[in-house]
Amino acid sequence: MVHVQLFGLFRLDSGIRELDVDVDSIRKLYPVLLAKAKEIDPNTTVTARDIDGCIIVINGVQSRKTAKLKDGDQVMLMSPVCGG
Amino acid sequence: MTSKYGGYMGKIIEIDLSSRTTREYPWSDRERELFIGGKIMAMKILGDNLTGTEQPLSDENIIVIATGPLTGTGAPSSSRFDISTLSPQTGIMTSSNCGGTFGYYMKKAGYDAIILRGKCSEHTWLEINNSSFVFHNADDLWGLNCTPCQDKLIEKMNEIRGCRAKFGKLCIGPGGENLVKYAAVISDERAAGRTGIGSVFGYKNLKAVTISGNHEIPIFDEEKTRAWTQKWFRYLKSHPLTGNQLPRLGTAGLVSSMQMRSILATKNYNFGQYEHFDKVNGELLAEEFNIVNKGCLTCPIKCARTVNVEGKEVKGPELEILGLLGGGILNPDLYSILKWNNELDELGLDTISASSTLAWAMEANEKGLWDNGLNFGETENISQIWDDIAHRRGIGDELAEGSKRLSAKYGGEEFAIQSKGLELAAYEPRHAVGQGLGYAVSNRGGCHLNGGYLVILEGLGLNTDSLTPHAKADFTMMFQNLMEMISATGQCLFTSYAFFPGFLITRPNGIVTKTANAVLPYLGWAIRIANKCPEIMAVHLPVFHHTKMMKYAVGMNMTFGKYIRCGERGYTLERYVSTRFGVSSKDDTLPKRLTDVPQDPNNPKTRVPLEVMKKTYYKARGWDKNGIPTERTLKKLKII
Repeated sequence: MVHVQLFGLFRLDSGIRELDVDVDSIRKLYPVLLAKAKEIDPNTTVTARDIDGCIIVINGVQSRKTAKLKDGDQVMLMSPVCGG
Repeated sequence: MTSKYGGYMGKIIEIDLSSRTTREYPWSDRERELFIGGKIMAMKILGDNLTGTEQPLSDENIIVIATGPLTGTGAPSSSRFDISTLSPQTGIMTSSNCGGTFGYYMKKAGYDAIILRGKCSEHTWLEINNSSFVFHNADDLWGLNCTPCQDKLIEKMNEIRGCRAKFGKLCIGPGGENLVKYAAVISDERAAGRTGIGSVFGYKNLKAVTISGNHEIPIFDEEKTRAWTQKWFRYLKSHPLTGNQLPRLGTAGLVSSMQMRSILATKNYNFGQYEHFDKVNGELLAEEFNIVNKGCLTCPIKCARTVNVEGKEVKGPELEILGLLGGGILNPDLYSILKWNNELDELGLDTISASSTLAWAMEANEKGLWDNGLNFGETENISQIWDDIAHRRGIGDELAEGSKRLSAKYGGEEFAIQSKGLELAAYEPRHAVGQGLGYAVSNRGGCHLNGGYLVILEGLGLNTDSLTPHAKADFTMMFQNLMEMISATGQCLFTSYAFFPGFLITRPNGIVTKTANAVLPYLGWAIRIANKCPEIMAVHLPVFHHTKMMKYAVGMNMTFGKYIRCGERGYTLERYVSTRFGVSSKDDTLPKRLTDVPQDPNNPKTRVPLEVMKKTYYKARGWDKNGIPTERTLKKLKII
């Protein structure tokens, strides 16, 4: 099981804060997140492109969307922010 | 004296608080061209009037409240004004920028700047209406927190006018009255927060200033200004940062990103990540606490939060305070931060310096240097601590001096997170070394914005190599100059964030963004040339609307290159005036924790290589190896 946390506007847009999923790659996470967002709000405008735009961090290290996942991994997805 | 340029009211008024007399301060169009307005204009006035022998809390110190030529013109986010003086916190020159409505009403009263000299003989509220100056006794306002004080000013003004009065106001709280080194000036809900300007007001017995008038603010070319304003508004609203992220998350939205980049100051900067960051971040603030977004006059961004604290709607926290009063003192309770943020504003204290001084005191207690009863993670008595600081009671009297003075007394200078006496914001620079350079060389002390805000390239926005010193000095200089000028014109710095094309922000994994991140550290030479000869950039950049606004609203023949040069003049001018008060390379420092101790014990590069960047920076600026602007540079910039 992989623990996924969402941050930034993607979290507000999708309505998902965190979830535990059984996937072995970031790519396979996409449909799970989109389905969950749809479940929360059937009219959601979230698309795979939004996930593509996220910074991906696996176990505290920035990673790529092609990365593989293993049981126990902590994944953070964050739509980028700046300015302050 | 009127001006041929639009935007300017053509008058600077000098008020002697001791004798209660006024006179017009001479200022020519040539000076407007060179020193523009806001903090640059103020620094020229201070430089012409201060010799280097004055003390911050003395009759001889001068306060300059200054607008920019775009203040109140309707340009996007153009409500800003600056308060400049000799800082009691740092002992050198300072400017603190503020939003709200005061700047607009200053223009309506007919003034580009107000100079305050001397000292009131009694607690005073100064009422300015056009050319009328009334010195009211303020004994009934003295001691009030900032909201009750401003509420009372509204009552009084309504009574004087016999109707609902429209006016700008600013005031100090108990912090300024009791000369806390980091007391703020508050205007509506906004703050000229940093470097202790509030205590200069307090010393001068000036509790509040109200201002109003019925002058028209002149615009050079009204039609073109209106069209350009509309275009710029649309651009800001459509940009992913200024049109989406900042309105929806505010600056608080950065906390999570800072955690991921290891730049979230934690436990007084011992670490760059906080395990409970998700309990004190902007997303949670937006989901559970934010009631409505607020903005200053003519601002399409509306980055301010409004939250409910104890049944009242009050201003929400910025990321700095979420960082410093969250991970900074190991506090995972977001509501407590909302409450403290409001308390600090009410007392008229700078939230950053107050928070960072508290974190230092907790570590000093932990290390056995100062037995003060303050511990990381113990937050029950913090509200009382703020009150004690503002009223200088018990240990609050000592905390009111700030971390630099406290560490000089008790030891622990290596973890007093300040530069030139000004505490740093919540960006931990050991994973953003360019930001570290900015903190150290910043004119007014450890300020992230005055330092150039390089962290926008080093993880918050773009994601270039945050540990390399390459090109960082050159980018720092360029960004400092750019932001100096934006402030001087009367606009909010946040308008500059739309400078980055939207796709670079929203597509961090895209090939263009990755290429930009990879290439930036190798572009130092190009930025150096641009810094040295900005006139070669005799163009208006399509993503930088500021220059054309200066052309249309003010009538100045501005280009991007000239804009940068004006900013450089302002930045070096402030440094030059501060050298009279002893500032030099020895003051452009960071605490040893940040320069000598790697954040990651396994990676020696996770510390700020300050000295090597400083050398490049001084050279780029045309300052000597001691950080003093050379005569050649001062002449080139037409400062002398």
